[in-house]
Amino acid sequence: MPAIINFLTRRGAALLATWRIWRATFGLAGKVVVAALSPAVYNSATRTVVMKQIYFTAVQILVPFTLFAALLSFVLIQIVVGTAAEYGLSDYALEMSVRLLVLEVLPLVTALFVALRSGSAINTEVALMRINNELEALEDSGVDTLRLEFMPRVIGGMLSVLSLTAITSVLALVLAYLAVYGAQPWSLPDFARVMGKVFDGAILTGILLKSLAFGLAVTVIPVAEGLATPKMLFMAPISVLRGMVRLFFVLMFIEVASLAFKYI
Amino acid sequence: MPLRANLSLLDNIALIPQYRHNLDYETTSAQAWNLLLLTGQESAALKRDPQLSHAERCVAKLLRAAIERPPIILIDRPALLLPDTHYPPFLSDLLERLADHLNDCWILDYRWNEPLYPPHLLSPAPR
Amino acid sequence: MERAPVPPAPPVPRAPLIKNLEFKIGLLLTLTVLLGAAFIAYTLYARGAFQVSHKLILTAEDVEGVSVGMPISFSGFPIGKVSRLHLMEDGKVRIELAIPKEDARWLRKSSVFTLEKALVGGAKIKAHTTNLQDPPLEDGEARPLITGDATKDIPVLIAKVKSILENVDAMTTAGAPINQTLGHVETVTGRMAGDYGLLQGVMGSPEKAQKVVQALDKANTLLTSLNGVSLKVDGVLAKTDSRLFGQDGVMDQAQGAIRNVNALLGDVRESLKKADTILANAQTASADVTKITGNVAEATTDMARLRLEIDDSMRKVNHLINEINKKWPFAREVEIKTP
Repeated sequence: MPAIINFLTRRGAALLATWRIWRATFGLAGKVVVAALSPAVYNSATRTVVMKQIYFTAVQILVPFTLFAALLSFVLIQIVVGTAAEYGLSDYALEMSVRLLVLEVLPLVTALFVALRSGSAINTEVALMRINNELEALEDSGVDTLRLEFMPRVIGGMLSVLSLTAITSVLALVLAYLAVYGAQPWSLPDFARVMGKVFDGAILTGILLKSLAFGLAVTVIPVAEGLATPKMLFMAPISVLRGMVRLFFVLMFIEVASLAFKYI
Repeated sequence: MPLRANLSLLDNIALIPQYRHNLDYETTSAQAWNLLLLTGQESAALKRDPQLSHAERCVAKLLRAAIERPPIILIDRPALLLPDTHYPPFLSDLLERLADHLNDCWILDYRWNEPLYPPHLLSPAPR
Repeated sequence: MERAPVPPAPPVPRAPLIKNLEFKIGLLLTLTVLLGAAFIAYTLYARGAFQVSHKLILTAEDVEGVSVGMPISFSGFPIGKVSRLHLMEDGKVRIELAIPKEDARWLRKSSVFTLEKALVGGAKIKAHTTNLQDPPLEDGEARPLITGDATKDIPVLIAKVKSILENVDAMTTAGAPINQTLGHVETVTGRMAGDYGLLQGVMGSPEKAQKVVQALDKANTLLTSLNGVSLKVDGVLAKTDSRLFGQDGVMDQAQGAIRNVNALLGDVRESLKKADTILANAQTASADVTKITGNVAEATTDMARLRLEIDDSMRKVNHLINEINKKWPFAREVEIKTP
């Protein structure tokens, strides 16, 4: 009997902890969005942090990531075009590859990449800042850490995800044109027709919202997880681990939800 | 209180006015640089927290507090900040150098350390 | 205490961490904004926001498979797209098409618009203009949309084709009535080719034919013996002559029978020719069927022709079978399933 009570207590505590961290995450996301939308909080210090975040998240990796995205796009387009031709559906090859790449694969791959690279870094940094009491030190010096440290990171992350998605998507469109029509400009009207068919207002808004949601998740979850780290140094890796797992599931959830919204 | 680990000493000091008064970095870093020159610790300007010696870290913390010119600065148990220095002369020298930039500075310490400090630096209620 | 001496303008050290941070970030963000804006402008252009377009209104009963943005093609080239779809008061559907001005010249007063649905792939709206000299369609003019659904007819067609093939099959299997018929014809002609020729063919076996011949022989002998009889019995002979060879005489009747047989055989020959053509027709029909299944997307025009042909063949086959039944009293169990 005590064993059962013990077990239930532990389960309940775990459940409560999960609940708390999610609530903290959403609370933080809300606070950050509110802060980001009020122009008063932007000043030279926060701008510097935003710029550094964008630099580390997007500019540093721009060239290698773009090359990788181009390679991935190229291979996927070839597969789609080849398969479509095999089944006599060449008319749909372009539309299919554009839908596949620009609407689904590239935003997700970008978000995953940024999550791996910057999300984990942010999580570690915030966890260490918390463990070392740096956050309290800043607060004592009259600095609002939400505005100085977290909000700029979130904004930087979102802008970075948007930038990378936009650049790789446009590249994928160019590659798709080349793969389907070859290197000649006379099929541009045809291409424009397919583009007009695929991208209506709802789809464009959808991509934008999805990228923003990815950017938000990629930064807010690590920050929230870092902030929830107990003040013990050995908890830092555990914090990063938890943050990354939660981030992965949230990214997948956003993707599935957007798919469901679009096609069901 | 600890410094931000991933900012240089100079940036740690400059950050405070930059954030609080929305000054640009050039202005505030110059401000911080001047203070640092006064203390004679300018060689540490670009170092980060883990690379600093105890004296440098102590100076940085003091400057970070001082740059906003608060009416009063409390230094809690300087022995903890300066374990490897003969700290009473170091501290009074530092405070002399910064005299123009400080309003009031009190040292909080154990009662048995009272003889170590000049009387005007002692808080009204030492422990 | 005096202020510590300020060293001669020591420059504020800058963290050498990132070179041109502002510039790079600015470049990236500008690039992103430019790409985004250009892309939105491009999609607007692609959706025809900047195009001066003619409006064309089509009305249809059922627009299943039609969607906004769907192209309308002329000679296989997209010349415009569906811009709006909505139900009217009378339950019909109003399809608004936007035709770019430079493509509007392909559409004339006499143009016909069809909605075609194929087995694989979406529906297609097609414009057919036979005479490009006709006056052009006005902006905002309304036209009916003719719907032709290839998929709807296919099951019926397949059923018909199947029953025809079954009939052909029934006709060609061993023991089928037509085979029996042909067998009989063969037997008859075989007999005709035998020792006793036509007679055998009519009488059924050489023995019977022989009997006839023997009878004739006997008559001959009789005749000679009669010839040998005295002239006194000339009158009797004359009588016998008239019995044998005169009007309604025995031989006359036999000749009539043989003539009948000839006519019947002619009929048989004709029927066989017909059967041949029908088999050939059935063959072309089945060839068409494979063409359909192989190339359904283009089959819509072939379908009607094929159906006519098959119907025609069906009628012929029925007719033939009926004829054969009439002519040849055996094999009553012949059944032609009419689809």
